[in-house]
Amino acid sequence: MKVQIRKANDVTILDCIGDVDLYSSPHLRETLMEQMHAGNPAVLVNMSEVSYIDSSGIATLVEGLQLSRQTKTRFGLFGLKGNARSVLELARLHKVFAIFSDEPEALEKISSIEPFGGL
Amino acid sequence: MGGVEVTRIVTSNDPGLLQVLRGVVRYRAQQAGIAESDAEALAMAIDEAASNVIRHTYGNRHDARLALELWIYPDRMELVLEDSGPKVEPGEVRPRPLEDVRPGGLGTFFIKSFVDECAYEENFPAGNRLKLVKYFSRKVAPGDESPD
Repeated sequence: MKVQIRKANDVTILDCIGDVDLYSSPHLRETLMEQMHAGNPAVLVNMSEVSYIDSSGIATLVEGLQLSRQTKTRFGLFGLKGNARSVLELARLHKVFAIFSDEPEALEKISSIEPFGGL
Repeated sequence: MGGVEVTRIVTSNDPGLLQVLRGVVRYRAQQAGIAESDAEALAMAIDEAASNVIRHTYGNRHDARLALELWIYPDRMELVLEDSGPKVEPGEVRPRPLEDVRPGGLGTFFIKSFVDECAYEENFPAGNRLKLVKYFSRKVAPGDESPD
């Protein structure tokens, strides 16, 4: 899995590409923690190229959500599909995260959410 | 055990090989004409079960081995995951309550959600042998583009 970092105005976007499992989730975790601690006002995780995520990947996203509350970072996900959307719903976490359908919607709405991840 | 043993593979418990285990399960399930949703459920179940072994049974050591057997029957597929770690006490393997939102603890919940039966073999002499059973929702004909 690759994680690419880019900026859209003051929003940091992490483009995840590939499967997120026990092997790759530490890389996502490290990148997410770095960006949260870097003082970024908003961090979005682009899941549109993630075709598989397991419980370790979900745990990483939950950890990011918890850290966002400490660092007052607006935090959200977009582009969820297939397996990734299914497992979040199965774990009843789809209402815990701020989830947007795509990047334009995420960029439009991320500034309007409270800086604790939820809508 | 009966049925047809399709595959037995033995790997190191390197988490980088989880994608290989998932791939083998998906491939064999596809060959057997199992619906894509069932195949994906089995792939996710074996990923979570093997991850549990790597993290908890082996304590993230990477010098141990895992063995996976795939058995296909007319109505179900069984995955058997074997390790040589300390005995797992089945009563200690419980999913956490979903309302307790925190990192971790979802693996067992996912396994129980993805398969119909999940049990350790009681009399396995050394290590653990976990059997996961998924009954097919339906089989698909080769070339069927819209399973489920």
